Amino acid sequence: MTEAEIRDEYNILEKSRKDSRAFGSLYEKYYDKIFYFIYRQTEDEDVTADLCSQTFLNALNNVEKFEFRGLPVSAWFYRIAANEVNKFYKKKKASRVFSIEEMRVKELVELANFDWDEEMIQKLLQHLKELPTEMLEVLELRFFEDKDFKEIAFILNITESGAKMRTYRAIDKLRSYFNQKGKYDGKK
Amino acid sequence: MARNDIRLRRNRMQAGNIARHRNYGELLQRHEREQKFRRYFKLFGYFLVVAFLIILLVIVVRWEQRKKVKEKQKQTTSYVWKPAHH
Repeated sequence: MTEAEIRDEYNILEKSRKDSRAFGSLYEKYYDKIFYFIYRQTEDEDVTADLCSQTFLNALNNVEKFEFRGLPVSAWFYRIAANEVNKFYKKKKASRVFSIEEMRVKELVELANFDWDEEMIQKLLQHLKELPTEMLEVLELRFFEDKDFKEIAFILNITESGAKMRTYRAIDKLRSYFNQKGKYDGKK
Repeated sequence: MARNDIRLRRNRMQAGNIARHRNYGELLQRHEREQKFRRYFKLFGYFLVVAFLIILLVIVVRWEQRKKVKEKQKQTTSYVWKPAHH
């Protein structure tokens, strides 16, 4: 996303401080992305719809508090959505779900120059289960939402170096499970 | 120890299914309702503060009045003339 596009979105937010209807364009633009992001962590359509609606409502209610930090407005929506998901699991006291699309996993496996193999995927899922939630969160944002480290840091309310560290550690852990050597270079 | 439930989804959710939940009009209504509620809540808060200050003022004024009355009573009792014993 270019600087000008980020500014444009910020201007829409500025407008929606006075007229809530202006927020509608951002809602339409990001609804699906936020919906997928939440759905991947709940796998329940109705719960996702509720949390997604709550996310945008919180954003609209707190539009005056938004501070421009040079990041796309979507990062702010992701941050609110991540908090909503956390609140949901805290309240529900259930183990967290990470539901990933087979197609996307296939793409990532092919990117890593591996052959698509059902057994290997099952192993990968098993190993992902062993990772702590914080690592799964960064992996999801990095590889399923294509976010850069600056955005990940903002969304998860951690430092940029912390986001990098978590990602590298997660990748290294997965590599060690598969007896793969080498370090993750930060690229996809 | 498994910490999270990792699931593999064969099908990506259809955009049509998501569109079913997208409703900006409803969100706007909820927002306006909440803003109204917030405004009333704020007003109620101000009312409570003002009421508290008024009560405090009444208590202080009454306390001062009582203090003055007591002081007056003290002054009058100290000027009571007592005849000397013969």
